[in-house]
Amino acid sequence: MSSAYDTIVIGAGHNGLAAAAQLAKAGQRVLVLEGRDVVGGAADTQEFYPGFKADIGAHRIGRLHPTVTRDLKPLMKRGLEFVDSDPSVFAPTLEGHHLTLWRDPEQTIDSIGQLSKSDAARWNDFSALVAKAAGLLESVYDQAPPRVTSKKIRDSWELLRVAGRLRRFGKREMMEVLRIMPMTAVELLDEWFETDVLKGALGSMGITGMFQGPMAAGTAYMFLHQHVGSNGGPRATRRVRGGMGALSSGLADIVRKRGAEIRTNAWVERILLKEGRAAGAQLVDGTEIEAERVVSNLDPKRTFIDLLDPIALDPNFARAVRNIRFRGAVARVNLALGELPSFACLPGDGPHLRGVICISPSLKYLERAFDHAKYGDFSEEPFLEALIPSLSDPGMAPEGKHAMSILVQYAPYHLREGIWDDAKREALGDKVVETLTQYAPNLESAIIGRQVLTPLDLEAVFGLTEGNIYHGEMTLDQLFFLRPVPGWSRYSTPIPGLFLCGAGTHPGGGVTAAPGCNAARCILAE
Amino acid sequence: MRGAISISPSIEYLERAYDDAKYGEFSRHPYMDIIIPSMIDPGMAPPGKHVMSIFVQYAPFELNGGWNDERREAFGDTVVDTLTRFAPNLKDAIIDRLVVTPFDMQEEYGLTQGNIFQGELALHQLFFMRPAYRWADYRTPLKGYYQCGSGTHPGGGITGSSGRLAALNILRDG
Repeated sequence: MSSAYDTIVIGAGHNGLAAAAQLAKAGQRVLVLEGRDVVGGAADTQEFYPGFKADIGAHRIGRLHPTVTRDLKPLMKRGLEFVDSDPSVFAPTLEGHHLTLWRDPEQTIDSIGQLSKSDAARWNDFSALVAKAAGLLESVYDQAPPRVTSKKIRDSWELLRVAGRLRRFGKREMMEVLRIMPMTAVELLDEWFETDVLKGALGSMGITGMFQGPMAAGTAYMFLHQHVGSNGGPRATRRVRGGMGALSSGLADIVRKRGAEIRTNAWVERILLKEGRAAGAQLVDGTEIEAERVVSNLDPKRTFIDLLDPIALDPNFARAVRNIRFRGAVARVNLALGELPSFACLPGDGPHLRGVICISPSLKYLERAFDHAKYGDFSEEPFLEALIPSLSDPGMAPEGKHAMSILVQYAPYHLREGIWDDAKREALGDKVVETLTQYAPNLESAIIGRQVLTPLDLEAVFGLTEGNIYHGEMTLDQLFFLRPVPGWSRYSTPIPGLFLCGAGTHPGGGVTAAPGCNAARCILAE
Repeated sequence: MRGAISISPSIEYLERAYDDAKYGEFSRHPYMDIIIPSMIDPGMAPPGKHVMSIFVQYAPFELNGGWNDERREAFGDTVVDTLTRFAPNLKDAIIDRLVVTPFDMQEEYGLTQGNIFQGELALHQLFFMRPAYRWADYRTPLKGYYQCGSGTHPGGGITGSSGRLAALNILRDG
């Protein structure tokens, strides 16, 4: 008990900060070590071109864990603000028509109805099913997954409580949810709809961040995951005013206010062990800092393979960690624009530019985009999820100008030919601009500056292994009690005193703070 | 030559074969599972001659433009051409051939959309969801009307399981 700290948190990503806040609140002496010069990890806002700012990592937030929502309340009074876009999605096509998904179902039905009467008639029933399924996920997202194989009474009781919560949804509905979860996005959407652009826009939510096309099993799950917290509407497009960085610095304020310390430019090189127990961290400059326990916000591969002496790890556990699939598929492009893009199918400014602009005119388009990535090249015609935050948030760009932030798929981390060098990076940037310009003809000429982040860049900047934005693929075999590896889904690890709190743990990626809050609760329960 | 001959030189070969089918075409370089029964079962062919039976993927039921005689033979040619790349004398050794498309399977054997398992063996169509939730016990909403085929648990293949399990439940109902 001689250490100056009870807990060292490695990494000041939003989950690390959320965990630190809960631990500090419980009276622990907490030190957060962040390698970069800013906090927030991938929830980061930067000036990518003089005068233009963008969220260069995550550009939307998900459903925040209730504990964090509560913690943030005082900050909301002092200016922290979430912006929900309406419409949430605008999906243009090259055939002159478009689709808009609004928070008001009537407006959505109206938009769909212009393309297909039968699809419009089914929207409400579909939304109800999605809400039910997303609600079911939500009910198991706020705590650690139950120990499914344990025979201890306490664990059985917990399992029963989870089962009880699921039962509340009704047997038949639960079965329907269970049925759709392992489906492909294509199977799910084909059961309901006929309109290509509707299925394309919805299907894109099933492949976001995944190295999978919409015909892969489990993409229906990702679709539902994206709807957690949307309360029956289409997936919410929620931003932070001033950018993600405002949320991160807000979380950091809470952590500091609770007496914890955050050190930036403190790159951890090694987790220190004492008699097999985590006992602190060593920085690149050689400084050793002792603590009773270590909580890692880094992904499991970096935590166990990069920071630990291999001799300390059970070989079977190490093998399981090495087998976690990452395979980043996302690139990020940020554009500084002299004027707003004008879409050929819906010219000029309007509410449609305020939500996600979704370039995914059909499921086949998405699948073809993936075909290229499957064989190690970036998509010939990529899926794009673009936002123009400066429309609702003037601070993001100089007056009269705009900043556009684009999530691009697929850009495989592992290229078959060549490497992600400057030429490849710019070729990808050109491809994105070329694709978007097909839909908005003035786009190319409106560009003042651009930033392209390849999966390799995302790895280098944020420390995301293979550029995977979820700290490990969110496929069925890497979820719930199988995340990050079977047997270790409750944030503890085979090393006593070492815990995980990042997106590589349940319930996975997105700006939700759920892994961080769940981890803190498990740590405090020990 | 006496076991299964598998034409699937790599995972990528299989994936590319599937790519064609995804977009409604049969595979240009199909995966094949081949047996030559006459090698161990002389009754299958005249002395000195042989019969080769080939299971081919992918041939989508919903072929662009639909299956007809011309497409059936084109598909047969693709199979022969592919196999001849691996066994150069094959093409010349052929005396006759029969090509059965998924459409033929539907018409001749009554397999809906030519699915050999009477419904895909996908996670959401298995166990208590096969053929449908609440009706996975071989019973149906109609009293006295049962199912006993591959469309029920545990699914396709020559196993007899579905039939046996159905019979047990029917006997239980008396």
